[in-house]
Amino acid sequence: MQFNSTRQGMAWLHTWLGLILGFVLMVCFFFGALSVFDREIDRWAIPETRFDPQPMPSFDNLLMGVFERIEPDEAEYKRMMPEYHDASAGEMTPRLELPADEYWAYTTHRDPVLRMGAGFRVPFPANPEGHNHIHGNTTIDPRTGLSVPDHHLKIGSEWFYPLHYSLNLNWNRIGFFIVGIAGFFMLVALISGVWIHRKIFRELFTFRRHKSKQRSILDMHNMTGVVALPFHFFFAFTGLIIFVAFYYMPVTNTMLEPLHSAQQAIEAEEMGLPHERAGIPAPMASVDAMVAEAKRRWAARDMAGEVGFLQMHHVGDQNAYVSIYRAGSDRVALVGEGIHFNGVTGDVLREDPPHSLAESIGDFLAGLHLQHFEHWFLRWLYVIGGLLGCACIATGFMFFVEKRKQQHAKAGSQGSRIVDAFAVTTVTGMVIAAIAMLIANRIIPSATEGKGDIEKLVFWSVWALSFLHAIWRSAAVALAKTNPAWREQTVLIAILGAVAVIANWISTGDHLIKTIFTDPYWAVAGVDLSLLAGSLIALLAVKKMTATHKTERKQETSQEKLATGEAAYE
Amino acid sequence: MNDAIWLIIAFVLMLLAMGWFALSLKTHWKQVMSGKPASRLLRSLGWICVALSGLACLQADHASMAVLVWIMLSATAAFIVGQVLSYRPGLLKPLALFRA
Repeated sequence: MQFNSTRQGMAWLHTWLGLILGFVLMVCFFFGALSVFDREIDRWAIPETRFDPQPMPSFDNLLMGVFERIEPDEAEYKRMMPEYHDASAGEMTPRLELPADEYWAYTTHRDPVLRMGAGFRVPFPANPEGHNHIHGNTTIDPRTGLSVPDHHLKIGSEWFYPLHYSLNLNWNRIGFFIVGIAGFFMLVALISGVWIHRKIFRELFTFRRHKSKQRSILDMHNMTGVVALPFHFFFAFTGLIIFVAFYYMPVTNTMLEPLHSAQQAIEAEEMGLPHERAGIPAPMASVDAMVAEAKRRWAARDMAGEVGFLQMHHVGDQNAYVSIYRAGSDRVALVGEGIHFNGVTGDVLREDPPHSLAESIGDFLAGLHLQHFEHWFLRWLYVIGGLLGCACIATGFMFFVEKRKQQHAKAGSQGSRIVDAFAVTTVTGMVIAAIAMLIANRIIPSATEGKGDIEKLVFWSVWALSFLHAIWRSAAVALAKTNPAWREQTVLIAILGAVAVIANWISTGDHLIKTIFTDPYWAVAGVDLSLLAGSLIALLAVKKMTATHKTERKQETSQEKLATGEAAYE
Repeated sequence: MNDAIWLIIAFVLMLLAMGWFALSLKTHWKQVMSGKPASRLLRSLGWICVALSGLACLQADHASMAVLVWIMLSATAAFIVGQVLSYRPGLLKPLALFRA
């Protein structure tokens, strides 16, 4: 590659990085934007949980009973037990007889349901120093303590949310790595984009939609990129920070494992929290009393709040302790202000000290991305930021194709045709797949075995179909025309959005008049309204595309006439 | 005062700021008015509104949250003003106050 200027080099970098990683970033931005309201989408998808958010219920009267009912996960037992267990030391304990070692419960200000889990100890472990836990999780209705059935997939928090950071490709965590790499190169794309765009301020508000298609697309690309530049930058950056530690440098769990364990033991000792079980059974003190004490101490620090996360370590042992963390709904920074209690006596063992400046910056950056705060207005602004990002990437693809398709058509190249088909799949196809999944969720009866798996299957197959459709209709691009799949798939979005709202109404009786006026339930109303807004935008886009299509056709026929006229003249 | 009202005030101030920033540019001024804009003056007005909008955000929220709201408002407002200039530039006429 020979470049005459840095700017040219940057343009090359921006074009090709953007093209390759844009497809991944589109998924991150779109499903990231949906994840802002993941809990609300959960409510829409699981009508049994459409009630108001609840505070952490009584541990002694309700949670303890639920914890005792939790069973170790069957698949995890099969997979991990042979690895943890030392067969030469003794018999392998049957799954349902594993002793519990750890309990936790987690809720937020947006959760009606409560997530809970238990970690089970493995007797005769192969590596006594190791973590050796087999886990079991459940989600309950905190008013009754009854479990929400497991075959109900939480489409928001267990599908759309992980999709935006792992693509839901779990094989060897390949999805995490792809997203991480895309996130890193997004920073490169932002910097190179700013470099090649000479008139940042002078064209900040410029959208010349009446000029050529190529011009107007580039204007929109620049505008959506530049106005939300701080948002794009910070989300790519903080996303990387959150994940780098876990997934790129997991040395603490591999090469440095012995050192890491030693460090944990020392830390635990310094904090006065027992790292190991004593091996002496002991009854547990009242956890409710500890919760009351924790709340009193938070209030004394002028930060009264509810419990967000509660964890009991070394259950039933003399060394048991309970860690209680505050729900961080009133600030950006993710800090728990944890208070730890002796599980047997109920005495306070330790109060986490305030974080240092460096830690506080980290808390702020992580909190900014993970959004545990209670601020509906800011949540919507985040959605707008995410959608601006989507628009920026989508117009990037379109510009790539628009700029090249004439040349490619003349040279007989299929390049822009293929890129365009991928663009259709990642822009309109992705939206169709998401809505189709929601519709499937409302149509499949709630008692169906493996309901969640069918929904996932619908999601992937609809997305694959949208790709086949885009490829099938792509011949036009090789002739420097527009792929009709853009219009056809946008029509489908307009229809499906409305169908999803109607399907919700028919299957649950929750229509918009009820969820907004007569019996307000904003989580469901919000999802319905967003679906309808999506439909409306799709409809406007279809109208616009039809008009453009007509003028294109007119120009073509007049050119053809001209050509035949000239031929006759000759 | 109610937090929601402060947030609305912050949003309106940010819209004004972006409107004035846009009008300080010759191309956009011409979309609404003849002549040339008093760019410096309009831009200063814009910056004052950006600052006031930040103060309004601080009235509503804890500082760490207010910063985020403020930045996201600026993105949203800039995008809205850009679209207004493309579809209904006349709406910005009341802001075209100072000609060079």
